[in-house]
Amino acid sequence: MDFILSLSITDSIYPLFAAGLAPGALPGLGWFTNSIFFALIVTASVLIFTRMATKRMETIPGKKQNFVEYIVEFLYTQVESIVGHHVAPKVFPLLATIFIFVLASNWAGLIPGVGTVGFAGGEEYMSGPLTIKADAGHAEHHGEDTHGAHGEDNADHSPDEHHIAPFTPLLRPPTTDLNFTLALACVFMIVWAWVTFKEVGIKGFIEHTFAPKGGLEGAMKWALLPIFMLVGVIELISIAARPVSLSLRLFGNVFAGETLLHSMMALGKQLGLGGVPMFIASVIVPLPFYFMEILVGVLQATVFALLCAVFVKLSTAHEEAH
Amino acid sequence: MGDILKVFGLQWGPFLAQVIIILIVYLILSKYAFGPVTEMLEARRRRIAEGEEGLKKIKSDLEQAEERVQAMLDKANDDAGRLINEARESAESVREQKVQSAINEANQIVEKAREASRIEHEKVMSELKADFGRLVIGATSKVSGKVLDDSDQKRINEEVAGQVSL
Repeated sequence: MDFILSLSITDSIYPLFAAGLAPGALPGLGWFTNSIFFALIVTASVLIFTRMATKRMETIPGKKQNFVEYIVEFLYTQVESIVGHHVAPKVFPLLATIFIFVLASNWAGLIPGVGTVGFAGGEEYMSGPLTIKADAGHAEHHGEDTHGAHGEDNADHSPDEHHIAPFTPLLRPPTTDLNFTLALACVFMIVWAWVTFKEVGIKGFIEHTFAPKGGLEGAMKWALLPIFMLVGVIELISIAARPVSLSLRLFGNVFAGETLLHSMMALGKQLGLGGVPMFIASVIVPLPFYFMEILVGVLQATVFALLCAVFVKLSTAHEEAH
Repeated sequence: MGDILKVFGLQWGPFLAQVIIILIVYLILSKYAFGPVTEMLEARRRRIAEGEEGLKKIKSDLEQAEERVQAMLDKANDDAGRLINEARESAESVREQKVQSAINEANQIVEKAREASRIEHEKVMSELKADFGRLVIGATSKVSGKVLDDSDQKRINEEVAGQVSL
């Protein structure tokens, strides 16, 4: 199969969807997926901007410093209002990182070309406005690596199954990759555990989870103890499920948004339009959804960070109360 | 479960790579962004608090200064009033003295003039009497053809002077 770099928007109906739920490996780079590549770009952008803004901190701030200070102060106020004055300094850096990184990733996914420019393998992708035929060496890699995220499983796929994801975007928003969202959730859970055990201790955490609450004493306390123990077990299960729920929620929402945008781009083609009308439709139709996705990007970043803050609050509330 | 992981593309390599990327962002942002920014915000908050304190002190000092100025103004007004009254009284006294002095001088001038007039009047009257006496003696000697001696002239003069009382 030839390997081509194609601007596939006019030929593909659902480029990202066609790429599948899994991120695609870049040709010849093994497990180095397009989402890792784009995560590095987003990381570099965020770090360069913040470094530029905070390199020379001045009492009377410039525009960039002022912007960063506004964001940091706003986030800190929000985090402090949820987790409390005492815990806020410990968890603020992570929660702010989560919010900024997720927001930057979500919005970066809306840049034209992200998720639509990539490597295509099928014939239907080979006639886009920008099509570059790769050399034979790359063609060799395509068969092995463009579906690298699927791993060795590709070897067992039938030709039809291969055809399901013939397109690998060059840039894939990290939040449309479950590896990223799960990594984010896992990092948070590790920090959450560290902060919780540091604040209330292991004994305090066990008491907080299993011990009868509400100041019960005497026979009533012992009578209700089994119920509270059962509630504690359920609580532990819910804690264990948090990384899954956090990561799947973010992944699902952003992936759905990307897919929606690409569907709207391809609506003209779906309706049988051709030439200029199809091109105009591919530009005009997705516009309202772009604005919606801008809001969804903020919303999902907020939800993720907010839930993390609430989880911290729930586990350290006992300590804060004192 | 394995199929689900494959469908979503979950693999250790990309997962660990993403964890490392997140940790890098977390550490760098903590060190170079959140740390300096929160320190700057705290420093600015302290400066604002100090500024507020300074402002309160300045306001208090200003009020005290205004009170002092007002007291000084009141005292200056009182002093000025007192000085004006004293000056007015002094001026009145001087004026009285001057007026009195002028009246006295005028009275003296009038008295002198009156004395001079009286002396002049008496002088004129005595000359007039003498002239009139001479005229009477001359007329008497011409009418009587008698040469009047000194005693006659003296008597006539005394009679004329006694009859002429201008």
